[in-house]
Amino acid sequence: MTAWNDTTRRSLLKTGAAGAAILSAPGLLRAQAAPVKLGILQPVTGALAQDGEYGRLGAQLAIDEINKAGGIKSLGGAMIEMVFGDARSSPEAGSQEVEKMHAEGVSAIVGGFASPICLAASQAASRYDIAYAVDVGVSDQIVSRGLKNTFRFGPGFGAVTRAAIDNLVKLNDAAGKPARTVVLVHEDGLFGSGLAKLMNDRLSALGFQILETIPHPTPARDMSNVALRIRALNPDLVIPSSYYGEFVLLARTMQQQRIRPKGIYAVLNGAASNFRFVREFPDAANNVMDCNHWADPRKPKTAELRRQVEATGRFWLYNVPLNYSSVRLVADAIERSGSRDRIKIIEAMATSTFADHIMPYGPTKFENGQNTAAAPVNTQVQNGDIKVIFPDTFADAKPVFPVTG
Amino acid sequence: MSSGTFAAYRPILIAIAALAALPLAVPMLVGAGLFAGPNTFYNLMIFILIITLAAQGWNIAGGYGGQFSFGHAAFFGTGAYAQAVLQTRYGVNAWAALPVAMALGGLVGAVIGLLAFRARLRGSYFALVTLAFAEVFRILANATPITGGAAGTLVPLRIGFGQMQFDAPAAFFYLALAFVAVVLILNRLLERSRFGAWLVAVRENEDAARALGVDTLTVKLKAITLSAAITAVAGALYTQKFLYVDANIAYGAWISVEALLAPIVGGIGTVFGPLIGAIALIGLGEAAKTVIHAAFGSAVPGVDLVVYGLLLIVVIAFAPRGLIGLLRTGGGR
Repeated sequence: MTAWNDTTRRSLLKTGAAGAAILSAPGLLRAQAAPVKLGILQPVTGALAQDGEYGRLGAQLAIDEINKAGGIKSLGGAMIEMVFGDARSSPEAGSQEVEKMHAEGVSAIVGGFASPICLAASQAASRYDIAYAVDVGVSDQIVSRGLKNTFRFGPGFGAVTRAAIDNLVKLNDAAGKPARTVVLVHEDGLFGSGLAKLMNDRLSALGFQILETIPHPTPARDMSNVALRIRALNPDLVIPSSYYGEFVLLARTMQQQRIRPKGIYAVLNGAASNFRFVREFPDAANNVMDCNHWADPRKPKTAELRRQVEATGRFWLYNVPLNYSSVRLVADAIERSGSRDRIKIIEAMATSTFADHIMPYGPTKFENGQNTAAAPVNTQVQNGDIKVIFPDTFADAKPVFPVTG
Repeated sequence: MSSGTFAAYRPILIAIAALAALPLAVPMLVGAGLFAGPNTFYNLMIFILIITLAAQGWNIAGGYGGQFSFGHAAFFGTGAYAQAVLQTRYGVNAWAALPVAMALGGLVGAVIGLLAFRARLRGSYFALVTLAFAEVFRILANATPITGGAAGTLVPLRIGFGQMQFDAPAAFFYLALAFVAVVLILNRLLERSRFGAWLVAVRENEDAARALGVDTLTVKLKAITLSAAITAVAGALYTQKFLYVDANIAYGAWISVEALLAPIVGGIGTVFGPLIGAIALIGLGEAAKTVIHAAFGSAVPGVDLVVYGLLLIVVIAFAPRGLIGLLRTGGGR
């Protein structure tokens, strides 16, 4: 009996104290607006796990920063809450995660990484009018389906290839046209084959002679046959479009066998602008050029973010700034819409002029979901660092071409 | 006679009714926190049913006929691509494309079967040849323009009954369930038919069957054609559900593995094996994911897969005749 009374008295006291606290701190209550849920979809298991992890890191850094700065102000300082989904490197797992995110009430989704995942996930999101910001997915099918909810902040395949070819011609002309013969090496999936085909058509028209186009599967365990073929053909230029592992293998094999073309000019390569490759195989990586996504080195925020990433013992990969910027882009749209309403967020995304990102794009402008301001840059590995060599407006190094010695 | 017939089909009808009634339990399952929302549940169930259908196809040639194929992806992919390409390139209606996809899948099965069985390939040789065929199809699909090459084929999102794209996820669940139900009944019919007996005879001892006058080549050919056609329907349903196929989805090794793992886990050469196996495998994977996620958050990606693998080993170790075998022994034999 006593115990029962005791408990009641204690709980009464507690309730009273809590009530008093609520009454005395109305300002505090108002500040604690319900969080805005943001879906972050990345493949963190399976073949694409490395990219997925770095994508998540970029998103996390952006969310932390926004929350530290007071959250979404137009929603009473609502914090952004990450609802993470593992896309497991497969489209059906991606759409399954979108269903979960929908059930958990996310306001928008960012991520996907690989084109097939982006295609399936954005389509699943469109059923519920959830704004979907593609972080990387370069297939141009993603933004050509007429889906109102799908936005891609970065450049697509077509834009990257055009820039890559223009810059290659510029590079070659500036050096007195040392390169005439080309060997294309590509992975036989979506991006490699598509790229090789475009390259084949355009480069031949521009006066380059394509000696051979060599496809290889992903994953490939051995690239020595490809390297031997390159040695036999002895081209001025090797243009590889492969994922991380295969390109690292190829570059190492070429270095071991002393195959030294005048240049290695990669496009959207998984390794050529990846600091892991540069740190682990500095000799093989030296002077490799790439046309890819890259953060704007002129912006102070870029250096700050890079320091944050490297402080955690990780490498500076393009997935980080792309996801960081995409999350900021979506947060900006939510801020401007002043709403958790999905349709209003989609409308705000469509009219976005977001410029406070760290990519070299300028103000955002979406046309049919594609950011028309998006553009790739050319990088080159120079003495253990990755430098920007094109476009000239913000290059931080001169290209080393042709490579001698 | 008629009561005996009904008794044979009763468990099947009960199982179908139970599955069909599952949506009634959805509010409860969601309320209990097992699923994030009704659509999450339907999505999982639809995927389970698609895999069940692919596995049911495999089970006819592999389970009843003893022809272990490692390459059912060749049939799944043909169905998936046919469904996608007929719609996007030839403007064929989705409902009309489905039987064509099924027929094309069956045709591929017949051709591969003819080549392999005429060459008298059995056991692991047959398995290897089917594996090789699937791989050849994958590479071809990756390189030819009609399939969209490596970019894959995307079926435009046009929700409407006429497009076989449904606004309510329950509709697709019932569509997939209808196919699974038909094949369940078909399996029982097969078991009770002369053809089914020949098929089992071929599995048990092909030479003895031939000596007894069974035309083993024809029996095996019919079995693989039927098997392929059913798996092709699973592929076509996959396309309609996810509206996107590429070479690795359609002809990738993953589906060959799923199609043979489900019957092996569930109970090989049984009517319910593929269904029970698919529910156990995919349900287990999902459960492991949910539990691990609840316990650790998303901090340790892939741990759920490790748990899933361990559970799989346990199931195989303690239930060598599949979960059905376990149920039967447990049920007092």
